[in-house]
Amino acid sequence: MISPLNHPAPESLHPSLWRASQLAHASARCVDTGHPTLSSQLPGGGWPTGTLIDLLLQQPGIGELRLLRPALAAAASRRIVLLQPPHAPQALALAALGLPPSQLVWLRTTRSADTLWAAEQVLRSGSCGALLMWQNHARSESLRRLHLAAQCGETLFFMFRPLASAQDASPSPLRLSLRPAAGGLDIGFVKRRGPQRDAPLFLPLSLPLTHSLLPQHHAPLDRPLSVPVTARGVLPELVQ
Amino acid sequence: MLEQERVLAASPLARAAGVQVGMRRGGVLMLMPEARLVERDLALEAEAQHAVAMALLQYTPLVAQGEESTLLLDVGASLRLFGGVKSLCRQMRANLRTLGFSGALSCAPTARGAWMLARAHGRQARHGRVVKMPSLVRRLDRLPSALVPPARPFAAWFEGIGCFNLGDMRRLPRPGLQRRCGRSLLDMLDAAYGMTPELFEWIEAPTTFHAKLELFDRVEHADALLYAAQRLLLQLTGWLCARQLAVERITFYLEHERGKVARAPTLVDIALAEATWRDEHLVRLLKERLAKLELEAPVIGLALEALQVQPMAPPSESLFPEPGGSEEDRVRMFELLVARLGPENVLQAAPFADYRPDLANGWVPVHHVLRASKQAAQLPDDIHFFPRPAWLLSKPIALLMRNHRPFYGSPLKMATTPERIEAGWWNAMQTRDYFIAQGQDHALYWVYRERILGSHADRDPRWFLHGLFA
Repeated sequence: MISPLNHPAPESLHPSLWRASQLAHASARCVDTGHPTLSSQLPGGGWPTGTLIDLLLQQPGIGELRLLRPALAAAASRRIVLLQPPHAPQALALAALGLPPSQLVWLRTTRSADTLWAAEQVLRSGSCGALLMWQNHARSESLRRLHLAAQCGETLFFMFRPLASAQDASPSPLRLSLRPAAGGLDIGFVKRRGPQRDAPLFLPLSLPLTHSLLPQHHAPLDRPLSVPVTARGVLPELVQ
Repeated sequence: MLEQERVLAASPLARAAGVQVGMRRGGVLMLMPEARLVERDLALEAEAQHAVAMALLQYTPLVAQGEESTLLLDVGASLRLFGGVKSLCRQMRANLRTLGFSGALSCAPTARGAWMLARAHGRQARHGRVVKMPSLVRRLDRLPSALVPPARPFAAWFEGIGCFNLGDMRRLPRPGLQRRCGRSLLDMLDAAYGMTPELFEWIEAPTTFHAKLELFDRVEHADALLYAAQRLLLQLTGWLCARQLAVERITFYLEHERGKVARAPTLVDIALAEATWRDEHLVRLLKERLAKLELEAPVIGLALEALQVQPMAPPSESLFPEPGGSEEDRVRMFELLVARLGPENVLQAAPFADYRPDLANGWVPVHHVLRASKQAAQLPDDIHFFPRPAWLLSKPIALLMRNHRPFYGSPLKMATTPERIEAGWWNAMQTRDYFIAQGQDHALYWVYRERILGSHADRDPRWFLHGLFA
């Protein structure tokens, strides 16, 4: 039997080696996800820059942007490109998420070839903070091409694809599946450089609702009407 | 190619068939009936030489015309910038290939020496590069004596006295040589060996740029024009470098074949947000533009004109490159995207102060200049107060009703109290109560109930889906 003392730990031999039971070191710079429970589950402790990150959605509009909000807000010093989103993005909502409207760029394409070309141009230029791309069908060679293009720079690159694509192979080192859950998201780790995890991670992501909009579960009461303010009138507080 | 009914130059294929320089037209046609015979055209030749000179002006401002269709370049000051002699020669040869010409390239410490090496060695590039003076002298001494133009009328005499190369010629007594062959032979030899200074008339770049090109064939696909256009752009680059200018707007004229009616040339206008003097960006822009262009008639000629130029901007003075590319890179990226996708598909957000959500969500082409202060005024003070969905459906979807509840995949449960939006009496009236609803899959939807006013007030309310919270 070989004693473990004679063998140095694999991570001390080479930075790209790791044991199957531990998380890998990050080779690229990572941006904090803003959700500590999620960050602790990712190699490098955040979203890696210059890498194709595959996010597999059950359907659009389940809280995917709320999940990315802290990372995108950190990248918003440079432009954020939305390439072929499923619906028209609303600038006001994105502003509420912390992305100023002046930094948003929306690219619309008609053909799939144009979409891939535009993504490659944005990644190769390296002058944008983040690229968010929606694609339903992507062939593995075009994914590899985009992954290579992403490695040219430090752009955060998220690709949103339907959940069914989890079956297909992808060159992306980080693939997460997102499903809506009560009050948040269930994140499944399809692929990561680390131990396999079968149980999904629940992340609470509720809408920041103001109190006035939340339903009040009690019987309506007669409330005193506030006195209308008239110009040059007496202050209403004094009247009551 | 013929000059005065004699063969002047022949293609390798013709040479293999036995065609030799100096043959007559009849002889050639007997050897090769399918041969294409072309008369030499001095005007065309001069034009080609001018095109090459323009393109090479990007390496040095000192370009002069030599005898027998040669160009002399003083590259002494350019070697370090372009990475040494070898790299410079490689770049020049690549440029010549792009222009569609072939040439012999050589370099030497004296211009006349380089000229002789180029004439003697032709296209064997490795023999044509000399850097040190002593090795140049050794190389020149071995060249045949008939190479020097003033010595050619006396070739038989030189051969008779056993003077076969330039080394032998230099050993002859100078006064006798001058009396027999004239002053010019001695001058040329002295210049080649670096004993007298050389004077040239450098080619001046014209003040405006206009270049044109006749295509060999009728071109019916716009993509195929790119190669020819690259040749024109290369000339433009040389001209811009020589005059220290950067170009803002260029126009390509695609000349069509003249059929029964004359057809005006098609214009391809390329305007740049940022002036440039390198051709890579122009070539990429042109490629996207040509890919979208549909030709009405075959093209037989191509012309390029630089319409707007400005002085070249000095390079950035910052010591460290900015992380993630400069402003210039970004502008270029957007230009490229606009060229292929069209300006209506590359959009930036321009929210508009309006209560109706579909009108408030404005997007304009990226090249529109928006003032930050004006834009900030269009945003509400507290954007967190009323939640808005990140995805807005371009057309609201009417929802089914089941058990008096709106249904979208599953029955929707209202999670909030209504937010009433009632605006637009001046053009498109909207009276709606917006709710945030939750389906059984826990996804959040933005739905609204149409408020019905007037005589139909007793009808069932209609529900619509208008957005998704992402």
